[in-house]
Amino acid sequence: MKHYYLKKMILFLILCAFKTINAQERSISGTVRDQKDGLPLPGVSVTVRGTNIGTQTGANGGFTIRTTEPNPVLHFSYIGYTGQQISVGNRTVLSVALVPDATQLGEVVVTALGVNRQKNELPYAAQQVGGAEVTRTRGGNFVNALSGKVAGLNIKQTNSLGGSTNVIIRGYKSINGNNQALFVIDGVPVSNANTNTTVSPTGVRGQQEGGAGYDYGNAAADINPDDIESINVLKGAAATALYGSRAANGAIIVTTKKGHRNSLNVTVNSGVTFGNIDKTTFAEYQNEYGAGYSQNTVDGTGNVVPVPGFWYRDVLGGGQRELVSQFTADASYGPKFDPSLLVYQWDALDPTSPTYLTKTPWVAAINGPESFYRTSVTSNQNVTISGGGETTTFKAGYTRNDQTGVLPNSKITKDLFNFSGSYEMVKNLTASASANFSKINGLGRYGTGYDGKNPNQQFRQWWQTNVDIEQQKDAYFRNEQNITWNWQDLTGTKPIYSDNPYWTRYKNFQNDTRNRYFGNAALNWKVNDWFDIVGRVGIDGSDEIQEERIAVGSTDVAEYARFNRSFSETNFDLLLNFNKNINEDISFRGLLGANLRRSNLNSIRATTNGGLVVPELYSLSNTISPIEPPVEQYQRVGVDGHFANATFGYKEILFLDGSIRRDQSTTLPKGNDVFWYPSIAGSLLFSNLVKETAPWLSLGKIRLNYAEVGNDAPPLSVLDVYEKPTGFGSVPIFSIPNTKSNSNLKPERTKSLEAGIETAFFSSKFGFDFTWYKTNTVDQITDVTVSSASGYTRRFLNAGEVQNKGIELTAFVNPVGTSNSAFSWNMNINFARNRSEVISLYEGAGGNIQLTSFQGGVSINAAIGQPYGVIRGTGYNYHENGQPIVNAQGYYTASSSNTIIGDPNPEWTGGVANTFRYKDLSLNFLIDVSKGGDVFSLDQWYGQGTGLYPNTVGLNDLGNPKRNSIANGGGIIQPGVKADGTPNDIRVPVENGNTTAYGYPMNPPRQAYVYDASYVKLRELALNYSFPDDLVSKIRAFKGIDVSLIGRNLWIIHKNLPYSDPEEALSSGNFMGYQSGAYPAVRTIGFNVRFRL
Amino acid sequence: MKRLLFLIMPGILLLSCVKSLDDYNIDQKKPTTAPAATLFTGAIKNMADVLASSNVNTNVFRLYVQQWTTTEYLDEPRYNLTARTIPQALWQALYRDVLMDLKEAKRLIEADPLLDADEKSNQLAQIEIVEVYAWSVLVNSFGNIPYSEALNVDNALPKYDDAAAVYADLVVRLDAALSNLKPASDGFGEADLLYNYGSVTTEVAGWVKFGNSLKLKLGMILADSDVNTASRMVQEAAPNVFTSNADNTRFPYLSAIPNNNPISNSLNPSLTGRQDFVGAEAFINKLNDVNDPRRPFFFTTVNGTYIGGKYGFANTYVNFSTASPKVVAQDFESLLLDYSEVEFLLAEAVERGFTVAGTAAEHYNNGVTASILYWGGTAANANAYLAQPAVEYSNPASGSSWREKIGTQKWIALYNRGYDAWTEWRRLDFPQLSPPSAAEGAPAGLVIPTRLIYPVNEQTLNTVNNQAAADAMGGDAVSSKLFWDIN
Repeated sequence: MKHYYLKKMILFLILCAFKTINAQERSISGTVRDQKDGLPLPGVSVTVRGTNIGTQTGANGGFTIRTTEPNPVLHFSYIGYTGQQISVGNRTVLSVALVPDATQLGEVVVTALGVNRQKNELPYAAQQVGGAEVTRTRGGNFVNALSGKVAGLNIKQTNSLGGSTNVIIRGYKSINGNNQALFVIDGVPVSNANTNTTVSPTGVRGQQEGGAGYDYGNAAADINPDDIESINVLKGAAATALYGSRAANGAIIVTTKKGHRNSLNVTVNSGVTFGNIDKTTFAEYQNEYGAGYSQNTVDGTGNVVPVPGFWYRDVLGGGQRELVSQFTADASYGPKFDPSLLVYQWDALDPTSPTYLTKTPWVAAINGPESFYRTSVTSNQNVTISGGGETTTFKAGYTRNDQTGVLPNSKITKDLFNFSGSYEMVKNLTASASANFSKINGLGRYGTGYDGKNPNQQFRQWWQTNVDIEQQKDAYFRNEQNITWNWQDLTGTKPIYSDNPYWTRYKNFQNDTRNRYFGNAALNWKVNDWFDIVGRVGIDGSDEIQEERIAVGSTDVAEYARFNRSFSETNFDLLLNFNKNINEDISFRGLLGANLRRSNLNSIRATTNGGLVVPELYSLSNTISPIEPPVEQYQRVGVDGHFANATFGYKEILFLDGSIRRDQSTTLPKGNDVFWYPSIAGSLLFSNLVKETAPWLSLGKIRLNYAEVGNDAPPLSVLDVYEKPTGFGSVPIFSIPNTKSNSNLKPERTKSLEAGIETAFFSSKFGFDFTWYKTNTVDQITDVTVSSASGYTRRFLNAGEVQNKGIELTAFVNPVGTSNSAFSWNMNINFARNRSEVISLYEGAGGNIQLTSFQGGVSINAAIGQPYGVIRGTGYNYHENGQPIVNAQGYYTASSSNTIIGDPNPEWTGGVANTFRYKDLSLNFLIDVSKGGDVFSLDQWYGQGTGLYPNTVGLNDLGNPKRNSIANGGGIIQPGVKADGTPNDIRVPVENGNTTAYGYPMNPPRQAYVYDASYVKLRELALNYSFPDDLVSKIRAFKGIDVSLIGRNLWIIHKNLPYSDPEEALSSGNFMGYQSGAYPAVRTIGFNVRFRL
Repeated sequence: MKRLLFLIMPGILLLSCVKSLDDYNIDQKKPTTAPAATLFTGAIKNMADVLASSNVNTNVFRLYVQQWTTTEYLDEPRYNLTARTIPQALWQALYRDVLMDLKEAKRLIEADPLLDADEKSNQLAQIEIVEVYAWSVLVNSFGNIPYSEALNVDNALPKYDDAAAVYADLVVRLDAALSNLKPASDGFGEADLLYNYGSVTTEVAGWVKFGNSLKLKLGMILADSDVNTASRMVQEAAPNVFTSNADNTRFPYLSAIPNNNPISNSLNPSLTGRQDFVGAEAFINKLNDVNDPRRPFFFTTVNGTYIGGKYGFANTYVNFSTASPKVVAQDFESLLLDYSEVEFLLAEAVERGFTVAGTAAEHYNNGVTASILYWGGTAANANAYLAQPAVEYSNPASGSSWREKIGTQKWIALYNRGYDAWTEWRRLDFPQLSPPSAAEGAPAGLVIPTRLIYPVNEQTLNTVNNQAAADAMGGDAVSSKLFWDIN
């Protein structure tokens, strides 16, 4: 079916494209600027009155328009500005200054279902972000560019190349469900799914839980940032109520750029950026002690070693024992470095090494793992052609984006095509369509989590500080063999735990391709001046393949795995819009509509079994043992919605808005499948009441609303089935699944109350928008963990309530700069604070639902009375004097592993964006702040336990090296008290990796490895220069040239998490507050040139 | 009005796409019906897997009885049960992956009106025997457990039953099952991997022996706490137990994942590069002391000798004996109950004065011989072995008591059967094993667990019942002793 529509759409688009452009008579050009700050205004609509002729200003505010009118009157209009008409007369060049519209009554924003509304009528919170703001720093993923720009929109990006971005509006609401915001493009919802795995039926940890895998990113990254006109973030349920059962998480409404009638514009963007890791977010190593778990005087063979901590073994086979570094030990609690000491190290076992069978000095590596990372390069090229004829508009664009990552052998390429057009077939009947095709190819994405394919597992957790990464590199490239620093034994034939990291990157790589298509076709009939009808079909689909490899010769069994997935969603909308004033004072807008949604997900995942027969042949048939049956998934969802909305306005002062939607969903059991979602909202534009008495009040509005929206059940959670594991030879096996379905499910429901005030003062010199909200999500569809004594480990239920309460504040101020001044300064500030609390849970949940458990003995939970997602693990035992208690040996004692030891939710988030302009030069920068929130670091838990980090060496309170034995004055006293409350004075050893006070070995409280995840980041910096119009006009080919110097993530101004980026996570999703093998942040810097033709 | 046509178009499209959505929420890829036998097969495999595994996340008992120790990572040999969710792994495997599937199999069989009555009786009895086995592992590991209210998803908070009461019910159930077995009829047929697979085709007759041997074993576990029940069970069962290795309850493994022996996942070089385990000093020293002919089948050598690593401390892999190629083979079978074990139980029965045929020494010798033959030794090996003073039953050098003599040889015979070796060690209190010593750098106060602590999940999800159960046993500690662990 989808192919049928695709064909129709393409045919239609081609028709649009071939309409010719009328270009004759006189030409008028000019520049449009902001009357207050003098900044050029791009995107201003310019039309010739009484005709269909129109164009849009370019990046430098310039426009050119042709007309046959003898006395043309040009009309200029722009969101947020008062429209202006200029009688051209004989002039051919115009200089136009638009006045910001204080009351912004004219500003039109796009709301749910693509309905245009006047911003001032909106009785709920919505925050608009311009297209320019998301392309300013030329990142590949426009979602990341929203970070710090919208109050209440919490964006968390991972540091993997092409990795996913967590998009949460006003907190996590659903305990087990999807909490990601809904993405809508031109009225049609599009998928933002991520395919990163969670726990498998066989109980293996998925990618999102720190198991093996790759972060494949999420689907919103397929949207071309250069195609975005504006983004409207609908935060609350009242704003999204018309989406009914998928409205609970807020929506990000994207409006794409369109062509304009009787114009032709070509824009070319060309940019390149370079990235390097931010070393403050990567491990730092101690450089005093090398490989080993201990400095024992007797080695594992029972031989007395002349220098403690080495092996004393016969390497050359001549019967002569020599010092050998403990290359099987993936830790650095071994012997103290001493350049005069010559020992056999890992390279002595590599026959191709220049140091084969040669002793080398016992020193710290010159090139640590940070030199594994290299400079990333991103090249972004984009061409957009837009324009239109008398009755048509079109736009065609192509973007090519090539990124290489900071890890060797990694790259992602994107080809993004789009085409849109419209045609007024007969008067007032317009057909329009858009089609987008994206092809994303990934190669060598970064392995994540606790897995050998993530080089940070060795770099941050299990490493020897004597291993030089450049030597590892040479060792790999000499023969492309897995020459590890971590040999199994003296014969040096196989790695024991860690592969050579270059081997991992070049041999155990993955690749993937995603073909994404989305678009819509619509008919719009303006029946009369108060009634129009829109019929629209939108589709969104993708086909992808992911292939993953483990080469023969790796520590893990060689493997080839492939995952094929295709997804499509089709939405049919019919909207009837009414817009009629009932009398002089009372206005009315109405909407009646229907939406049919059908989605279809089909996937298959297959893996070889027991190894590969022929090395480096990656096909399923190359398996050693017969492959297990692939995992197939087939999920369909159908939702039929009917809705109505009405808004009454009284004298442009009071607005009342109500809506209702009825949904019928196939994911719910029959009889429970029909649900109603109401919303009611009002706003009072009190500045219009006091116009006369308080002229300094440019805008004053209060808003109040209440809405109920939903989240339907995951597909296939209603009926019980059997699992069919691999049979035993020819004997079949079936099994009861781990999760019990529920045939009484109903949708979970979010009830939201919101109030706000919006103001602007002194001709909008400054102003603010403040919102308070409270949402309660009840009847949670929870996939609860139940006592496995019940025969199941999980069960679907409707139970539980989560509350999110918060405030949002956005403010703007234009402290410096007037219409004609050369210099101006604008500042936008946003602040949001959300408090979530789990109010109730299913009774058998024991007051707690474990969302997932992570390696290292910590878990993520929903616990009654606690914020969503709290981290549990062992905590300190505190004495009544408030000090942590140590045991008789001087180590911290640990409480039950159920202790709440962290809350990953930030206390507040905020951003400050500044724009400075001096003539044609402008400087933008954005500071992004996240305060509070906790993260458990498995990297510190293991890495300190293996003695990698600087705190495990140095001097103790006695002035002796900590790593000395206790007898020699080493060890440390951990701050705390003994059981009786007296200060701890017991020294604990740090000399030995099995008894060290640092990290995992003595099973200390997990709480000690929970860190504050606050950060202050200089997120964006852009310096832009627009060539002056008079200069540009001399170069006849161009309408405008802009050059910008751009930087992202340049500086982490403040953080408390050591050696890592507090924002880094495994994947987007519900499991936050955990780092394992974290990737460092990447600073990017580059430039972009934009030409307009 | 022509324009209306345009408007009707989307409407038509809408309607043309509306078809019945009734099957949308039916999983097209998963069955809604299943043959009962397939659930039985799966349950047995899951039980065999969890008991055979040597994965430190699942089964650490080979370490607890010091047959093996680890090389680098010392959490498990030092009895840490929380760094990994080990209790949860065993608990979950038995309740969810074994008992729940068996319960469902039973339900399906009972609901089948066409099944031959004798076959039905056999199948239900076979299920019952496996259930009793699985429940006994749970009780013997944790003590009080959810039993009467377990396996009911609508009861999220099952109460815990007293361990002794559970045992008493298991005894009744096992007796009933034994009386329902009808050797002349078929049982599960091809789904029966224990007694109708490969060379073993004794079918229901095999199950009669299995059930009686299990009864003997469970009876003997009660010997210290309830001697009357113990003697009754032992005496009733003894005439019908295993009489040779051919009767062993063995689970066959195949050479391909996921039907390979789980040990091979952790140790077989073709499946992993890891080298986590070596033989432990206490065990290998004992084997060396008695010139045990099973050594080459148990372990590898280092320069021709068998050498064990220091228990609970770091050991360099290449310097110590490791599990033999036989043990790590992907298709190495695992044992759920064997003849040698049965003979040791009979020897013990004689020593305890229960009325069974034969002398203790005969049964002891049979047990040792059966184990040597099973592992690949010869009858001559066995005779020579038994003739040594340190092995000979009548010789004081083989032990100061029957507990020590039988305990020591059973410890050897139960090599690679960590859970059973641990249970017998707790019951017989021999051999004497010491935890890693603080004097040598291990954390102070380590004790060899005499039970498993409850899974953290149970503490959280079923707090009140779990707490009550723990309190009834004197606390949820690894040092608590089970009701039958009197000495």
